[in-house]
This record gives sequence, structure tokens and C-alpha cells, in this order.
Amino acid sequence: MSSLIAIGAGIAVFGALGAGIGIGIATGKAVEAVARQPEADGKIMKNLILGCALAEATAIYGFVIAIMIIMFLK
Amino acid sequence: MEAVAEHIQEELNVQTVFTIPIFGGIGVAESVVVTWIIMGVLILVSILLTRGFKTRNISKRQAAVELCVTKLLGLVESMLGEEGAQYAGYLTTVLLYIGVANIIGIFGFKSPTKDLNVTLALALMSIVLVQAAAIRAKGVKGWLKGFTQPIAVVTPFNILDLITRPLSLCMRLFGNVLGAFVIMKLIEQVLPVVLPAVFSLYFDLFDGLLQAYVFVFLTSLYIKEAIEE
Repeated sequence: MSSLIAIGAGIAVFGALGAGIGIGIATGKAVEAVARQPEADGKIMKNLILGCALAEATAIYGFVIAIMIIMFLK
Repeated sequence: MEAVAEHIQEELNVQTVFTIPIFGGIGVAESVVVTWIIMGVLILVSILLTRGFKTRNISKRQAAVELCVTKLLGLVESMLGEEGAQYAGYLTTVLLYIGVANIIGIFGFKSPTKDLNVTLALALMSIVLVQAAAIRAKGVKGWLKGFTQPIAVVTPFNILDLITRPLSLCMRLFGNVLGAFVIMKLIEQVLPVVLPAVFSLYFDLFDGLLQAYVFVFLTSLYIKEAIEE
């Protein structure tokens, strides 16, 4: 039973995959934008951090579900 | 490993500090008491800082306080746009509260935002404010009509938004604070000296303030969307 719970929690954390890809793409685009327009550095940085915080949420959801699986399925 | 898991689980439980002996006993949770402490500190600081303000020949303290308040209000107002600027006061208060609540873990208190009930209450307050702002700006008829915009087919999704928006606001804040907390506890198990201080800078200070900002940003985005024609 406990090994099944561990596998379930592991699958739940797979949601982090999307967040990783999303933040990677966003950062890549931000670097491109800064290279093209170095003077807009501050604005781009602000939007990037905000976007990353939002994209991170999917990973956080997966993490919360994983924690809940471990805590409540014992 | 068992001991660590048990320790974390014990920390996650929200304890009832005391019970008010009316209506069959109302339990007062730890997060409520910490919220009272935050409220007390914020009110005390505001009273102490704003004492003896003048219109002319202002002191350095007054100048600094006025600069901070103007910057904070300006930050929220720029997100709300011109029409929504009247809601900036409430959102700035929420920003201050969540910001302090997220970083109060540094001072040894249990962060109230680690309690799902607190974040759920904040999210519900946000969504009620959004709907109330829509009704105020467009009237009941316009508000109901807003659900069928842009085309009638999306009406179920618009109604679903009423549930998913507060849910995602609540879960995002809760999950971030909880995640930071669990990771900090695990790091403390690995090496209890220098390492936690370094990581605490990111997880407690940076991430805590960022999540407060994100919460207020999303709420103001919803308000802005709700009140525009």
C-alpha cells in the first residue's frame, strides 16, 4: 500500500514538468527581448517575474496534491 | 525519516489555542491569534508613525511615511487603472497583511497563510469584492449580462470562473507558503547552521512578498476586467 501511495505522490509531482517548460520558454523569450531592447530591461524583468510566479502555480498544485496524498492516505 | 514526517505533520496541524465559552464553545485557532498579533503590530506602527503630522515644515519621518504610502498606493492603482482606483485602499491593506503574514515565520510565529482557512477567506473576500465592483459599475442587469459576454456559449465557463478563481487564488497562496515551509524544514534536517539562513532569504522573504504581490495583482486584474464596459 505505502509503495502505491509513493507512486501516486510521484505522479502528482509530474505537474512540475509543465511549470519547468513554461518558465524556461518565458525566460528564453525575456532574454531575447532584453537583447533586442536593453532599455526596456526593468519592465521585462517585472513581467517575467510575475509570469514565472503564475506559471509556478501548476507545480505548486501538484506539490499540494502530493503532500495531501502522503498525509491523508496512510 | 519517520520522525521528520511526523514532525512536519505536527507543525501543519492548526492547533486550537483557546475556546470562547459561548454558543457551545467557539474554537480560536492559532492562525487567528497570529492574525491578531499582525493586526496589532500594523495598527500600532501606523499610529506611532503618523503622530504629529503637519501640513508645513514636515519632519523627515513624515516625508518617509508619505513616500512609502504614496508608492504602495501608486503600485496598486497602476494595476487597477483609473476607474478602479477607489479599491486601492482595500487591496493595499491586503498586500500589507499577506506580506507580513508570509514573512512572520522568520520571527518564530506560525504563518497564518499556512492555514487553508485563512487563504480561503482572503480569496472569498476578493471574489465578493470583484462581483460587488461589477454590480456597482454596471448595475445588476449589466452584471448578469456580463456572464454571456462575449458570446452566449461561454456562459457556463463564466459561471465556473466564480468558483475556479477564488480556488486558484487560495490554493496558490497556501501551496507556496506550505511548500516553502516544508522545504525549509527539510533543509534544517540536513544542515541546521548556515544553509537555512541563505535559503530562508529566498523562500521566506522573496517568495513571500512575491506571492502577496501576485495575489493583489490577480485580484486587481479581475476587478479591472469586471468594471470595464
